[in-house]
Amino acid sequence: MLKDREMEQKLRNEARTLLEQGKVDWIIGFEAGSLKFSTTPLITKDKNDTERLVINPFIVNNLADFLTGIKGRVGIVVKGCDSRSIVSLIQDNKVVREDVVILGVPCTGLIDLSKVEKLTGKYRDELDDITRQGNKVTIRVNGQKKEFPATDVLFDHCLACELPTPKEYDILLGEPSSPIANPLAQESIEKLKQMTPEQRWGAWEKELSRCIRCYACRNVCPACFCQRCFVEETEPQWVFPAPRWQDNLMFQIIRNIHVAGRCTDCGECERACPVNIPLRSLTREMYDIVDELFQFKAGMDKDAPPLLTHYEEEEAEGIFR
Amino acid sequence: MANKKINKKDIAKLLNKWSQEFAVFVPSRESGVAEMAKWDGKDTGFLDWYRNTIVPPKANFLPQMEEMFRFQKDKEGYKIELPPDGAKQLIFGIRPCDARAMAIIDPNFKELYQDPYYLSRRNSAVLVGLGCMNPSESCFCTSMGVSPAESKDVDLMLTDIGDEFLIEEVSDKGRKLMAKTTGLKGATKNDEAKAKEAKKTAYDKVTRKLDTEGIADKLQASFDDEEFWEKIAAKCISCGICTLLCPTCYCFDINDELVRQQGTRFRNWDSCGFPVYTKMPMENPRAEKWRRVRQKVCHKFEFYPMNFDVIACTGCGRCIRLCPVNLDITQVLESVPAKARVRK
Amino acid sequence: MTATDTKHQRFFAQNNVYLPHIAVIEKIIEETPGVRTFHFNFKDKKLQKEFSFESGQFGEYSVFGIGEAPFCISSSPTHRHHLEFVVQKVGRVTNALHRLGVGAEIGFRGPYGNSFPLDFLKGKNLVFVGGGIGLAPLRSLIWNVIDNRKKYKNIDIVYGARTPADLCFQYDLDAWGKDKSIKFVTTVDRGDESWKGKVGVVPKILEEIAPSAKNAVAIVCGPPIMIRFTFPVLTKLGFTPEQMLTTLEKRMKCGIGKCGRCNIGNIYVCRDGPVFSYAQIKNFVSSEY
Repeated sequence: MLKDREMEQKLRNEARTLLEQGKVDWIIGFEAGSLKFSTTPLITKDKNDTERLVINPFIVNNLADFLTGIKGRVGIVVKGCDSRSIVSLIQDNKVVREDVVILGVPCTGLIDLSKVEKLTGKYRDELDDITRQGNKVTIRVNGQKKEFPATDVLFDHCLACELPTPKEYDILLGEPSSPIANPLAQESIEKLKQMTPEQRWGAWEKELSRCIRCYACRNVCPACFCQRCFVEETEPQWVFPAPRWQDNLMFQIIRNIHVAGRCTDCGECERACPVNIPLRSLTREMYDIVDELFQFKAGMDKDAPPLLTHYEEEEAEGIFR
Repeated sequence: MANKKINKKDIAKLLNKWSQEFAVFVPSRESGVAEMAKWDGKDTGFLDWYRNTIVPPKANFLPQMEEMFRFQKDKEGYKIELPPDGAKQLIFGIRPCDARAMAIIDPNFKELYQDPYYLSRRNSAVLVGLGCMNPSESCFCTSMGVSPAESKDVDLMLTDIGDEFLIEEVSDKGRKLMAKTTGLKGATKNDEAKAKEAKKTAYDKVTRKLDTEGIADKLQASFDDEEFWEKIAAKCISCGICTLLCPTCYCFDINDELVRQQGTRFRNWDSCGFPVYTKMPMENPRAEKWRRVRQKVCHKFEFYPMNFDVIACTGCGRCIRLCPVNLDITQVLESVPAKARVRK
Repeated sequence: MTATDTKHQRFFAQNNVYLPHIAVIEKIIEETPGVRTFHFNFKDKKLQKEFSFESGQFGEYSVFGIGEAPFCISSSPTHRHHLEFVVQKVGRVTNALHRLGVGAEIGFRGPYGNSFPLDFLKGKNLVFVGGGIGLAPLRSLIWNVIDNRKKYKNIDIVYGARTPADLCFQYDLDAWGKDKSIKFVTTVDRGDESWKGKVGVVPKILEEIAPSAKNAVAIVCGPPIMIRFTFPVLTKLGFTPEQMLTTLEKRMKCGIGKCGRCNIGNIYVCRDGPVFSYAQIKNFVSSEY
């Protein structure tokens, strides 16, 4: 946690300086949320607000999501996965590199409060404290301390993360961190892969039957930046607007195909879902399929062309007759 | 008439008895999310984990997706048919905040034209309230005129007094149900005292507060303050979570489905947070996000009270807990300027 | 006086406000490319005889399997041989309506909303200002007034569209042009080779005609931008906000004030409108009109 405090102070100074010197119009980062163990996006033009910036194991949001909706130059706080989202947006010509000052946070993984709740059998607001020291996490409940291996409480997508430290940045706020690469990350996906198609169909029917079509999964995703989403189209009506499970599934499948090559497995879709649908099982599988078919991982090289919306002239030869 | 009580171990028996007359709904996590689900006949494990559902009980009266009617075309033309009536529901374990929410949205479905789907469910249902002994940090029901363990909006009210629940009859419907329900013990004076104590403890556990004094006037004064609303709305991502899962939100959409010559007209939940909610072919009065956030806040705390004399919020805290960016309505309302900063 | 005189005529099918009655399309008139008038009657002859409505009210029209959309009843209550509504082809339901032919069955729910306050208009000079397809709600009132001519004083009608091809209801325009008891002017924003009439946007032409505000009421229906520029002209001519009426339009679904969509602040256009006076609009708690 000490590293977090140092990074925090450096971040606050840098952010304040960027605004003072007029190098950016906005600072987008995290500040303390209104609930225990929560943070909330801080989007401000006021240099005094930078005092509220935080770095801790709960900075879940992918702030790149706000870049396509904001006008002006932005100083933005990003973890490894988020920085890849920015690179992906640059590849798509949605963000101009010179308009962002990337404040990179070397991430050691974020704590999944639902995993904590399952392990402790308590709701998050019944816990006194959650602290991380290296590969251990200490949770204090009713004065008593319980220790867990960090890999038990970190998000699956953090366990699977390939780039915890931003590769593309302007200011790196701390020492680079290494990937955790824990096989636990793929457990839920492996379970699905071992099912027969009928079993898998039944499993997804159960999951998607509780979808309420809030579109939080779409809206937290930086890769979803369409002005008008296909699901809002009425002519033709691609997907029925009511939450019938088959239509909910169609929405997920089409959305995954639309973001293929842009999804960086930041896990926000699954984290944001209010009814606990394991969306990352779909997105990560798509991510792996893209890697397998095209040897491409989203957001690794800002000068590379985007995967599915670019072709070289030679590739078209023989296709058009 | 003295109150009755029931041992927690006997709840299953009670629910089974009631299942003979009603479709009984209890808090359940079977579907993968905490919601009111049809009771399976045996499991009362919810008594251990239940704080509140994520999907509010409004889903039992205004379903997420609901058949309005079916239509069929034959050689004589179109015929319209209503769906069959559903079974009478008994919602076991509804919290006072959610029960109050139903009472708050009732006028919308009654006024001017009666909504037959909502009202038939509402009128035939029995609400068995369960006092909330462990309010969450996001709850602010006490600031909205709701007590966590007391309710006038249910038919029966249960209070946790240790190994047993005290059962209070609140409405005529509740009295009628209790008259039919045998095998319950009478509550002692000690039980009543324990219940009173438990209610007070629960009330004091709600620490989040919101001052709604003059909020409608303040919102009216700041309606055109674009700068204020842009700031508030900056981190909103325009999903529908705070509205779809709010027990006092009721906006719905109507859509038709057709398979060859027959089909169904459905209604389903909708949200003023969605960009296309007010979209017309030539213009969209709420294309900008800050206008939609303003609409949501003002509807609940200004417009609805203007029409129905009650704030459309019961402090259940779901919007605060579930918002992906932790946009907190209590913080929003506290930051509304005391006086207008801009002229219309 | 109130511009929200509301009489709730309820014609429920199967005692359920959401169920449409079956209606049959009897005639289709192509007003302009993209705008059609539909004449229809209820399949139930008893309902056909008993049904009544007032000028300004609207119905919810269904293409079964595609959806439902609100359109004003554009025929006058004084012409009860059939009912009419006007549709511009802009989206899912309207495109589906335009694909229907004579004899097709549609659904109808209504009449909903409030109506033009005839008591308030009685004995007054009436100035009708219409733009494009906005003439649809107006024509119901205009024919209503003409059919009860003695109840009203002077009638001025100013109607315009972007181009001559966009003028709707040519049969009405011909009839009103011939009616000696009406002062009738058409205008277009841009003329063509055959256009002999006035050229200029409706607010400008209205300013030229300069009808007197004394004992007068102006009823304005058209695209929002036309209304926005017409109200200041009327104000200049001495009309008070109570003397200006209009119809507002918002996206609607249920049409009966339940689904929440069409609100402007605490009022619902489907339930408290669509007819409003400018005085009421100025007092809305929301500026979203």
